Amino acid sequence: MRQEKAALSFHGNRIFFSGALLTWQVSRFLRDVRARLKDFRGSDIIVDLSELEEIDTAGVALINEIRQIAKRNEIECRVQNASRNIKRAMKIFSLPDIYEGEGEFKKEKYTIFEGIGDWLVSIAANIKYFFYLLSDTIFYSFNGFFKRHGMRKGEFINQSILIGMNALPIVGLISFLIGFILALQSAAQLRQFGANIYVADLVAISMTREMGPIMTAIVLAGRSGSAIASEIATMVVTEETDALKSMGLNPIRYVLVPKVYAITVSAPMLTILSMLIGIFGSLVIGITYLGIGIEPFYNEVINALILKDIITGIIKSLVFAWIIVMIGAYYGFRVKGGAENVGRVTTSSVVVSIFLVILADSLLGLFFYFGGGIGY
Amino acid sequence: MSIVNVENVTSGYDGQKILNNVSMNAESGRITAILGASGCGKTTLLKNLIRLIDVWSGSIRLFDQEITTMDEAEFNSILRRIGVLFQNGALLNSITVAENVAIPLQQHTDLTEEIIDRLIQVKLNLVELNYASGMLPSELSGGMRKRAALARAIALDPELLFCDEPTAGLDPATSADLDKLILTLRDQLGMTVVMITHEVPSVLRIADYVVFMDRGEVLFTGSIKEAKSSGIKKIDDFFKMGTAA
Repeated sequence: MRQEKAALSFHGNRIFFSGALLTWQVSRFLRDVRARLKDFRGSDIIVDLSELEEIDTAGVALINEIRQIAKRNEIECRVQNASRNIKRAMKIFSLPDIYEGEGEFKKEKYTIFEGIGDWLVSIAANIKYFFYLLSDTIFYSFNGFFKRHGMRKGEFINQSILIGMNALPIVGLISFLIGFILALQSAAQLRQFGANIYVADLVAISMTREMGPIMTAIVLAGRSGSAIASEIATMVVTEETDALKSMGLNPIRYVLVPKVYAITVSAPMLTILSMLIGIFGSLVIGITYLGIGIEPFYNEVINALILKDIITGIIKSLVFAWIIVMIGAYYGFRVKGGAENVGRVTTSSVVVSIFLVILADSLLGLFFYFGGGIGY
Repeated sequence: MSIVNVENVTSGYDGQKILNNVSMNAESGRITAILGASGCGKTTLLKNLIRLIDVWSGSIRLFDQEITTMDEAEFNSILRRIGVLFQNGALLNSITVAENVAIPLQQHTDLTEEIIDRLIQVKLNLVELNYASGMLPSELSGGMRKRAALARAIALDPELLFCDEPTAGLDPATSADLDKLILTLRDQLGMTVVMITHEVPSVLRIADYVVFMDRGEVLFTGSIKEAKSSGIKKIDDFFKMGTAA
């Protein structure tokens, strides 16, 4: 950036600029001019550019801002004595209405109530869109059982591999570690009462009712939810969804429904595996640290668990799966702009999915505890 | 006979008006070019024509049927008679070129896999992309992507082909090849082509009829010869600058 000097001075109702009025001085000059105009009592001011030799776009913006400030304060402002070059720069770098002096910037000013109103309207529109998307997805998902037209062949298997099978190693590892650490932490307490064997009960019930479904859902939200959001968002910004529509294909049916099927089947299966692997993790602690044999551990788990524990976990996993797929799809289809926004909606979809999964887990927990009558 | 009939269409996005009282026709078996500077509303008009966005007012008739008030099923039957070549190709990136071309054939016909495979090869041969059938769109150059997208657009031998900036961003030789291909489609298959473009050389090479748009309104409709002698400064400038570039 060039550093030529410019000077600003005030004489009566005149504001003088001299030298080269360039970007790096504009903020300082604007502060000075604002301070001066705050206490100005006259009816008009003149911006005198007779000594000004050079100006850039920020300099022109400064002059125009002075005119705007004056106008707001009901002071008449005239720009005078500009050289031909400066006039030319003013003409080129000013917005047309400003240069002609016919109006103000069209920047809308909101009151706080209008802002809140706009925010509420946009939230209502987003919720409305979400429920439209949800109803379309439910309709096409059921419709797809009877009518294969409009869906991609082999896509269910493909998506099941991507969402389900490929997630197995990470779900397995996390579940093992969770079971392992749950057993270790609870053993420290239970040992004091000689109740080592109850580690099996504790971990079995935790894994089936809570940890299995929720850990699987968090992995799915991170892996598959983000993939769903980014894939759909990319298709939207690259006009692929428009191309599908132009071929008479519904993007929800063609792109989303196979993912819905795949996650609806995969999530409960992954959850059941997570439960088993978590219990296996606690068994490792039981054998190596607590001296419990495999058979007593197995018997304790079997005695502690009832079928309803597993059903609860599976119902949760289905609810979480639909939250993940719908949030991913919602953010994907709502994307606007370019590639940059694809990343943004992907991140948002993961954060919102995990939040809603935890919220749903709490609500379902309350429901099953107080109203569900499922074995608590 | 007019295949595309647009009358007094006004439309836009998010409350912002883009098109204002636009009227135009496209005659059967002709190449109609919708011309104009960037931002004049050409692509919005195309999106109205294939109902990607709804019109605010006015009428659009395709094949003599009003499409603005049709239900989805009826419009889908119209879409089967239409091919669309999008500006950036809009090929599905997760599947191969051949699978892209297969989509309309699999979804809208009950042809056997063998016939579909044969048709895919025919269409790819037409656009000289046989060798790329197993490639992913990301492995293709810009010109190849456009040609692959054209193969998909003509998969069902549509009566009407919409092309959004078919030659934008391509080198002159590739542009000329694509233009030749569009001419072949019109001459051999009798397709009606509505082409949105701001590429003057391309218009001069292939268009029979032009619709010149400016700031959301139709400034002129007629043949290229009539457009050149219209005496409208914006059109004169457009042709002059376009050919100079």
